[in-house]
Parts: sequence; C-alpha cells; structure tokens
Amino acid sequence: MSFAERMLNIDRRIIFAVIGLCTLLPLLYPVGLPIKISQEVRGVYDHIESLPERSVLLLSLDFDPASKPELYPQAVAILRHAFKKNLRVVAMTLWVSGTGMADELLTKVAAESGKQRGTDYIFLGWSPGGTAVIINMGQDLYNAFPSDYGGKPTKGQPVLEGVNSLKDVTYAVSLGAGNPGVEAWYVFGKDKYKFELGGGCTGVIAPGLYPLLRSGQINGLIGGLRGAAEYESLIGQKGRAVAGMDAQSATHVAIIVLVALCNVFYFMLRRQAHRQSVQS
Amino acid sequence: MDATVIGAWVATGLTLFIFSFLYKDNPLFKLAENLYVGVSVGYTIVKTYDTVILHLIWKPIVEHQEWTLLIPVGIGLLMLTRYVPKAAWLSRYAFAFIVGVGAGLAIPRTVSSFILKQIEDTVRPLVMLVPGDGASFSWNLLNPASSVNVIIVLIGVSSVLFYFFFSVEHSGPGKTVARTGVLFLMIAFGAAFGYTVMARMSLLIGRLTDLIEYSDPSYGRPTLWLALVTVGTLIALSLWRRSDPPSSS
Repeated sequence: MSFAERMLNIDRRIIFAVIGLCTLLPLLYPVGLPIKISQEVRGVYDHIESLPERSVLLLSLDFDPASKPELYPQAVAILRHAFKKNLRVVAMTLWVSGTGMADELLTKVAAESGKQRGTDYIFLGWSPGGTAVIINMGQDLYNAFPSDYGGKPTKGQPVLEGVNSLKDVTYAVSLGAGNPGVEAWYVFGKDKYKFELGGGCTGVIAPGLYPLLRSGQINGLIGGLRGAAEYESLIGQKGRAVAGMDAQSATHVAIIVLVALCNVFYFMLRRQAHRQSVQS
Repeated sequence: MDATVIGAWVATGLTLFIFSFLYKDNPLFKLAENLYVGVSVGYTIVKTYDTVILHLIWKPIVEHQEWTLLIPVGIGLLMLTRYVPKAAWLSRYAFAFIVGVGAGLAIPRTVSSFILKQIEDTVRPLVMLVPGDGASFSWNLLNPASSVNVIIVLIGVSSVLFYFFFSVEHSGPGKTVARTGVLFLMIAFGAAFGYTVMARMSLLIGRLTDLIEYSDPSYGRPTLWLALVTVGTLIALSLWRRSDPPSSS
C-alpha cells in the first residue's frame, strides 16, 4: 500500500485526536486572535445602543441545553448590554426544555448588574403553543402569561407598566436554535404587530436566516459562537465566546489542512493509476 | 456535599461517557445517551404538567371560575378518544379545529413573509435612482444593496431556477446556464456546511471548556478522575471481550 493510500485510509480516530488537540490546546494556552465585528452583529448592538432608558426589550430564549455553548454566551452578552443601558427586560422561552436554564441565566446576569426582578426584568417562563403564544401575546400579553415563572401575577408588575401586547415592545430579540425561533418571531410577531426584531442563532441555522437579514426583515443577526464573541467584544466584556475563538480558528485551520491534504493524496493516487494504465 | 460539586461530577462523567463513542460504541456511551433522553423527556413532562394542567387549566377554573376554559379543554380531550376505538371518530373534530386554525394562521403569514417579501428583495432595479443625482451604479461589494450584488443575485437566481427546469434539455447554451446554477448551489451548500462545522466545533469547545473548569481542585478534579475511570472501563471491556470466545451459531 502506497503512502497516499495509507493516508486516505487513515483511522478516523486519529482525525478525532487531531481536532481534539486543536481545540484543547488553544483553550489551555489562549493566543488572543483579533475579532472582526461583522455588520449583522453590529445591527443588533447599534439598535440596543440607540434605545432610550426604560425601553422594553423582549428577549426570547428559544433554545435548550443542547445549544448552550453557542446561544448562552449570546444571551449573557445581550442581557449585560440591556442592563447596562437600563432597559426593561421581558424574557421568555418558547422551548420547554430550556426553561430552567433561561431562568438561571437571567437571574445570574441580573444579580451581577444589580437589577431587581419585577422592577427591571421579568421572566415569563414557557407557555404551550409555540407560534400560537406569539399571536396570543400580540393580542394580550397577560392572557398568554397570566403569571411569571415564579407564579406571581404578571399584571401590576412595574417592569410591565404600559405593556399590554407585543405592540408595546420597543425591540425584540429571539435567540433561536430551531423552530420556533427567529423565523416564527418574524412571521407571527414582527410582520403582524410591527415591532423591530433582531436575531441570534446557532451556526447550523444561520445561513437560512441571512435572506431575512438582507431583505431587512430582521435588523441584525448574531450567528453562533463567533457572533457571541463579536457581541462580547462590542460591549467590552470578554467572556466564554471570546475565549473559544482561538480554538475555533485552530480547528478551522486543521479542517482546511485535512481537506487540502486529502485532495492532494486523491490526485496522487489518480495520477498513479493513470501511469499504471499507460504502462500496461 | 455542595450541589454544584455533585453537578460538576455528573456533567463531567456524562460528557466523558458520550465522548467515549469517538473510540467505539460501548456501554458507558449507551448509559449517558439513555440518561440524556430520559431526563429531557421527564423534564418536559413535569414542566408541561405544571404549566399547562396546573397553571393554565386547574387554577384558573377552580380558583378564578374561568369556565370558558372548559371549551378548549373539551376540544383537547376529544383527541384522547383515539384510544377508544368506538369513539375515535370524535377526535376528528379536534383535529379539524387544529388543522383549520393552524392552516388559516400559517398560510397567509408564511406566504407574506417568505415568498412575497423575499421576491420583493430579489427583484431590485439594477441601477439606483438617487433623488437629485439621477441614476447611479454602485460598485461596493460590501453593501448588500449595491448594483454589483444585484447583478450577482440576478445571475444566481435565474441560473439556479433554470437548473431546476427538468422539462428542458440542458444542452448548448442551456448547459452553460445550468452549470452556472450548479456553481451557485455549490457555493450555498459550502457556506451552509462551513457554518455547520463551525457550530459543531462550538459545541465541542463548550464541552471542553467545562471539562477544563471542572479539573479544578475546588470541584475535586472530576475531569481527571472520571477520565481515568472511562479509559479504565474501555480497556477492561476490551480485555473482557477478547477473553470471551465468539459464540458459534
């Protein structure tokens, strides 16, 4: 067996080990590669930055622990920004399996920012129905969520003063890992009740959401861990996402090198086979 | 023992057990996989019961006498008649209601959002008309609305649509157009695959970040101990399988 043949039949576990090392080493010894801010992430940041104090930011945390590495840092960065800008945060989730995580996340970031539940922020929790919840909220928010996550009646809470439906929301951001997520919030929320919408998503679904961004249906998009790192850089509070960017870059380089090598070996084999057929 | 420490040990153990599949399928992976499915389903059932049955149905009806809620509850209960063969026909009323409402809500909104809005964005004039300046042509590739990008979109959309005309033979000039369409499709698939790779790597980074964090002495170094347990178990399983003679059938 020639060298090229041996390389093309390499044990897949060696490739796993290479990728594992390329991820682990930059996490242990960070280099601090520069992070370029993209226009789509800046769209969300600039809009939140432009909001006056006590505006209502609706944050829909439509993900579960399976997408935590990508969307959790995005949520932390947006919440830190919103609390820094002294906005009223109305958080909720359309994914039942992410309810506990969303509450923990909100409580943690609010505590570090010194914000009060009920006055500065509220977690509405989860309600069944997916897209129907969005429509219900557009008609009457208190009907969709009669009580918050802690069981306290939503009506009368200072954070919701003057907010009766989605029409009273200044800006909404959906951090979605699938359906229902950003698309559902556009179709059944923004398009019907006319509020400004931004999005955050996992890397897998980001390409599918770019057409919405280009057509102006959403005004910004935070895509995957890279998007979260960009947002962390914008607010000047570098966290988990920025820390992961060196590893991300290293693994991408490793994959590019592996793909290139594989092609080189493939063409070597093809030339070898061609020579043999000419000789015989 | 602190609940955080217990959580760290459980999370670390399950992560390492799942990673052990990269070596080969084994009982540790199956244990973690089944636990994951069981816990997520259990959590969903409990949350749904608490939110729907208790907070949205039981409390409003019993405590606040909101009797109108009995109508959706009744429609919902009709679905359960599927389990009683003689009364199964009643479930059709519930399904008819749900399908009717769902389609009525979704079709107009989806057509408006995904078809009309996207067509509106695709069909743009090649030359921009700026008030006072007249017609202008923008060469800025970074601006999505620039004239060059509009031309690229025009070529891409037309050629991809042509590629999917299977009733026309792709020969002569048609072959060139179809091949251009394939080129655009390949670029789109490449971008989608690139993002998918990025997402999977992000998940790996997330897990490894946790493993690094849990190697701290404050948690009792679960990463190191459980990595030893996982590797040890894999070696033991391998030795046990080698010593166990294959059964002849």
